Parts: sequence; structure tokens; C-alpha cells
Amino acid sequence: MKLFIREHLPLLAFTLIELLTVLAVFWFDGYDHPLTALYALGLGLFVFAGYLIFRYATHRGFYKRLSHPVVSLGEFEQRHEPSPLPSALSELMETQYKQYQTMLQGWERKHENHLTFMNQWVHQMKTPLSVIEMIAQEEEDERTRSIAEEAERMRRGLEMVLYVARLDTFEQDFSVENIALKQLVNETVHEYKRYFIRSHVYPEVRIEDGLYVRTDGKWMHFILGQLLNNAIKYSAGSGQKVTISAKADGHEVILDIQDRGVGIPKADLPRVFRPFYTGENGRHFKESTGMGLYIVKEVIGKLNHQIELDSTEGEGTLVRIHFPK
Amino acid sequence: MYKILIIEDDPKIAELLRSHIEKYGDTGIVIDDFDHVLEQFEKHAPHIVLLDINLPSFDGYYWCRQIRQISTCPIIFISARSDKMDQVMALENGADDFITKPFYFEIVIAKIRSQLRRVYGDYAAKGQERTVERNGLTLYPERMELQLGDQTVTLSKKEAILMETLMERSPRVVSREVILEKLWDDAFVDDNTLSVNITRVRKRLAELGMEQALETVRGLGYRLNMNWKDRKQG
Repeated sequence: MKLFIREHLPLLAFTLIELLTVLAVFWFDGYDHPLTALYALGLGLFVFAGYLIFRYATHRGFYKRLSHPVVSLGEFEQRHEPSPLPSALSELMETQYKQYQTMLQGWERKHENHLTFMNQWVHQMKTPLSVIEMIAQEEEDERTRSIAEEAERMRRGLEMVLYVARLDTFEQDFSVENIALKQLVNETVHEYKRYFIRSHVYPEVRIEDGLYVRTDGKWMHFILGQLLNNAIKYSAGSGQKVTISAKADGHEVILDIQDRGVGIPKADLPRVFRPFYTGENGRHFKESTGMGLYIVKEVIGKLNHQIELDSTEGEGTLVRIHFPK
Repeated sequence: MYKILIIEDDPKIAELLRSHIEKYGDTGIVIDDFDHVLEQFEKHAPHIVLLDINLPSFDGYYWCRQIRQISTCPIIFISARSDKMDQVMALENGADDFITKPFYFEIVIAKIRSQLRRVYGDYAAKGQERTVERNGLTLYPERMELQLGDQTVTLSKKEAILMETLMERSPRVVSREVILEKLWDDAFVDDNTLSVNITRVRKRLAELGMEQALETVRGLGYRLNMNWKDRKQG
């Protein structure tokens, strides 16, 4: 309605001026009957009002549509419009929508192909990696151990790619169960044992046996792995322990991963969860892609858990995960 | 001695598995014709099967079902697929266990052993106990006993693992990383625990009259010097 009025204000002004001009012409010509003039003016305005009402009745939907914001793309569906202007608009929008859809589908297909390719590629890489790891296990000396170490890093990198690729289809790929927290932590720690040993950092797990959390085991395993990886990386060589502890606190379970490594500069803290953000530490430590914490945050959000990170430079970092009950 | 059939289309992995299995005294048979898996299974009549999921023509699930129709022999899947669903599928198609690639040889061997024990338990009892022997010093890892001449000492589990690692690699130096990794299997172990265990092992060795056998090599690790026999005879 507002739009309709705004649109027709100039027309109203135009009509008034036109009527008054005609009246003035007759008036100055000597035909000075005020009542007839008033009647003519009233009649003219009445016809104009009639036009406005007709116009509003036929274009109501059109104006409504123009003045409401688009909520979803589906609103552009075909609608029968009686007047030429609305139907032209409908048609235009529809063709645009169709074109847009085709383009979108094209990109979706491309994206999907890309993901499929990545997935297959990662799985293909696993076989040669297995061969390398197996050969390295055959004979143990300094060189093969070094090869095994690198292969392990490659495997962790590939694993990360797989999980990132899966992030898009997260909804189809997760199931929430009751998971024994201690067992989950121990398994993850065990997977990182070589990295721990090599870095002269040792884990300390303080979790009670009967502590269960509702989460997706596979994703949580991945998250813990990423966090442990960081904890070890940033405290390597310190000879300090990485402490993983948990406690039930009323309506939630809190899991803490505390390292006593280099910590994160204060300026970097607010941005650590951003993608590709590596900060000050990224310049000093290799293998910082800046993706680890970002993915962790994403997944934590999707699982409906919460994560906090606090760190003091030179003293260490504490990552805390809240599992609501 | 058991026959282990390896159905894996990557020849290098298959060969590595075979050679490792043979190290433990069993026979590994590698298949290279993936169109007639069942015939080869019948021909070799293995005690246990290692089966990959991704195979040319038919997949591992298919062959697992085929084998199941004629045999109840243990089947262990080995695959790069690590999804829960793949493991469920494997077990539902008749597999007994599942190992994801990449794997540790120790785990493969342990899982093979466990299946063999379960299925052919009676034979296993008659089979020989595993021993590690160096220069007259014998370790029985399963009994956790160490024997020299007619003297025997009992070891704790950690001491036995430590001793086995040292003996297998003797006379080479064993780095602390290797030892820690071996010890880590039941609980997390740090450098202090390692030192404590080294001291304990020294004590056990001393009980056998081998005071100087276990040497600390600074910055590298530990070495078991095989000097006891000479000393005993001398």
C-alpha cells in the first residue's frame, strides 16, 4: 500500500494540475461559474479515484511482492498475474531464477565431483603410504624410523583432508551415542604415542571410569586428535606433561586439555578459530595450516558442544570442551 | 605351522604381509588371480584368510560370502576403508575381524594369533611356545621368564617387553623411542618410568650373574652386550 501511494503521488499532482489548468482556461475566458467549476473538479477527481482503485485492485499482489523482502528462492515460482506489468516481472524473475538454478546446479555438481575425487584420491594415497609404513617397520634403524615419522605425518594430513571433505555432508555422517570419555581419550592418546615420545612430552589422563558423554565418537576422536596434535606441537621439547582431565559439573561434562608449552600471544587469541589463521606461532612452527582449530570449532558447533581456549604466552594453553547433558 | 591366504590386490602389501608372516614361522600364500578366488581357496585350504575389500571384479564382501558357504575358517578383513559401516558390512558378511590400513605388523600378527588360538586352540597347545634366545640366554615372553643355564628369574610384564626388545636387537643400541613405544601398549610411559624399569631389569640380570650386560649408551639409548657366556666359562 505504501509503495502504491508513493508510486502514484506524482500522478495525483499531475492530475490536479491538469484539472486546474483546464478550469483556469475557462475561467479567464469569462466563463465564471464557481459551482460548475467545482462540480467539474469533483467529477474529475472521482474518475481519477476510480482509476486508482481499479489499479490497486489489479496490482495489489504485484506491489506486495515488490515491498516484501525475498525469504527464499522458491518465491519466484510461477504465479498467474492478470496485468501486463506484473506478468512481465514474473516472467523476468522466473527466467532469472531458472538461469540461476542451472548455474547453481552446475557448481554443485562440480563441487561434488571435486569432493568425490578428493575422497578417492586420499584413499588411493593410503595404499602407497601403507607400503611405505610397512617397509619402514620391516627393519628398524634411524633412517627407517625417520621415514616412518614422515609417513605418519602424511597420514595425519590425509586424514584431515578426509574430515574436511566430510564437513559439508556432516548431517548424513554423524550419530550421537553415549561414549565412555576415558576410553575415547586413551585411544586417541595411544594413536599419538610416537609423536609424544618423539617430542619428549608425556600425557597425563585424569578421567574417571564411569564418565559418559553424548557425542559422535568418530568426530570427537578427530577433534581430540587435532587438539592433542597442537598440544604436543607447541610443547615439544619442554619435558612437560600434557594433562587431559574431565569432570561432571551439574548439567554438563567438562573436558580440559592443558599443555605447558609456548602458549599463544594475546593478540592472536581472538582469531585462533578462523580458517587459515596461523598467527605468531605459525611462523615459528612448521605444519601450521591454520585449519585445525577452525575445523574443530565447526564440528564442535555442529555437535552442540562448546569450546573455549585460553592461553598465556610462555605458560601454556588450556582448551576446554563443554558437553551438555 | 599354519597356512595363511592373502587376498590383496596390491602386490607390494601382499608380499610384505607374506614375508612378515613367514618370519613368525607360518606360511603365507599370495593370490594373484582375483577372478577365481574360491578355487584357490579350495586348492590351498588355508587355516586363515586375510581379505581386502577393494578387489578387481568382485569385492571382498562377495568373496567372504562365497568362502562362508564352504568353510568356517577365520577371515580377517584388511582395508583402507575405516568407516564404521564398512566394518559392520564386513562382519555381517561373515568376517571375524577387521584391520584398517595402514596397520602395524604387530597388530596383524596378534589378530591372526588370536583367531588361530580361538579356532585351532587344540593344535596351538601342542605348538611350540615362542622364545627369544641369545647366546644361551632364553626369554619366554608368554611365561615372562628369563633363563640362563639352569637359573630362571620371573619378570614383570614391562620387564619382559623391555628384555625382548633389547634381546631382539642385540648387539645394536636400542633408542629410548623404540623402547618407550613398545612399553606404551598398556599404559603411558615416560622417561622416568623407563629408567625405573631399566634398573629393575639390571637387578634381574644381576640375579642371573650378569652384572655388566645392560649398558647405557649416552644420548642414544641402551645396549645388551652379549658378554655373559664368555664370563661364565672364564
